[in-house]
Amino acid sequence: MSDTWIINMAFVALLVAIGLYALLTMKNLIRMLIGIEIVSKGILLALIATGYEKNNILTSQSLAISFIVVEVCVLATALAVIINIHRHTKTLDIEQLTNLKG
Amino acid sequence: MHIFLLCGLVLCSILAILATDLLKAAISLAGASIFLAMTFFELGAAYAGVFEISVVAGLITVLFIATISLTKGEGEVKERRFGRYLLPVFVVGMAVADFLVMRQFLGALPALPAAPEAADLGTVLWSQRTFDLIGQIAVLLAGVFCVLALFRKRSEDE
Repeated sequence: MSDTWIINMAFVALLVAIGLYALLTMKNLIRMLIGIEIVSKGILLALIATGYEKNNILTSQSLAISFIVVEVCVLATALAVIINIHRHTKTLDIEQLTNLKG
Repeated sequence: MHIFLLCGLVLCSILAILATDLLKAAISLAGASIFLAMTFFELGAAYAGVFEISVVAGLITVLFIATISLTKGEGEVKERRFGRYLLPVFVVGMAVADFLVMRQFLGALPALPAAPEAADLGTVLWSQRTFDLIGQIAVLLAGVFCVLALFRKRSEDE
């Protein structure tokens, strides 16, 4: 394995750590979504770096494009859900969303 | 150059998490996308870079800013104070886990299926990954229907 791939993977781990931190410690729904975005950036970097390492950048690019399309759909739906939650509860605090709590 | 781009990506991501203003956080996220796209260009993945810039840095940032402006005002969320001090712990923990666990898998990375000789992205996308394209179309349709359902006009008896 080349040094470039190992460096890329170290940065992938950093990005995933930052995204997981946002998901686990933040209370604002939009910030949590930003955390998901950062994790997905790490995964995209891993895909492209691995394709580069394996001399098969075309396959990894096509996988990355698929991933980006899915990411956009998930994000658009999540943002629509967040807007609806805000309309009903007037807050984005995840700790205040206790309507379904048993 | 490659290291600088990756450092810029991580710095923008940290800014997006730690910025107190949500608008600044969304713009930092767009900056991170631009750094990632430049990294893709450097690795020879030009099409993925173009997608990253146009879709992620452009469209997703617009979606974030629209959502932030629609939900602004009432109900500001105060984050936990101790949360900021946990970030270095997370980063160091992940680096240690990466060093201890991932090192064992470095040599065992399976090979990707080989691309046809002298093929371009279009050939690979349309001939080898056709099933992915069908999946993408289905996901796009599902996303459109979800957003339409969530923003539909309510009738008076609802």
